[in-house]
Amino acid sequence: MLTIPYFMLYIFNMKVDITNTGAEPARPMAYREKITWLSLGAIAVAFVPYFTIVALRMQNETALVPQLELYTIAVAIQLLVLGAGYWYLRRQSPGDAAMPPDERDTAIVNRSTTTAYYVLMAGTIVVGCIMPFSNRGFAIVNAAFFAIIVAQVVRYSVAAASYRRQA
Amino acid sequence: MIAGAIANRVRLLRFTNGEMSQEDLGVRVGVTRQTIAAIEAGKYSPSLETAFRIAHVFSVPLEDAFSWSLRPD
Repeated sequence: MLTIPYFMLYIFNMKVDITNTGAEPARPMAYREKITWLSLGAIAVAFVPYFTIVALRMQNETALVPQLELYTIAVAIQLLVLGAGYWYLRRQSPGDAAMPPDERDTAIVNRSTTTAYYVLMAGTIVVGCIMPFSNRGFAIVNAAFFAIIVAQVVRYSVAAASYRRQA
Repeated sequence: MIAGAIANRVRLLRFTNGEMSQEDLGVRVGVTRQTIAAIEAGKYSPSLETAFRIAHVFSVPLEDAFSWSLRPD
């Protein structure tokens, strides 16, 4: 858990721009790239603890998992981290934040969303077509949540990698 | 399909136009500094419209800013 604050500091204080070709002085990463890392960080902060707790509780079948409450807390934490992050990043670079996404941003979003779509499809097949024969109840519900979160992680990871590769 | 590679002289054009910064060019063209950096590095091929805009900023024909050549097999 100690790595999370350092991870967030890395996003907000990134001064070394590896996309720089050396012809220009190093500058901070683009606003939308920061947003991508922020979204990944928010998922990590909110859903790693959620799925850890759920997995540990579900090993002991007699333990009752307060499912709805846990999920609500995880989503609230995610929204809180995102809200604070957006507010801070907008304050840091209002000009970049006001600029609409350019064609490369759009291309990156298209690529990452397409990749995540296939991951979500695979998850849907597992959750909807395979799991009902061997599982029931909250195991299926949590598997569905997990598939959605994995798809989101893939989406933001592909976007972050694309920004880093300048593609 | 014919295999080819797109090359560009954007860095040189910036240099010969008063060492225009990537940020300045990005603002004029309507893309981010990072997108200009990616174009110069040959990692990203801009849309035809952006390519025309870049050429227009430097007042050169499109083929002076971008070129396409056959990739040897």
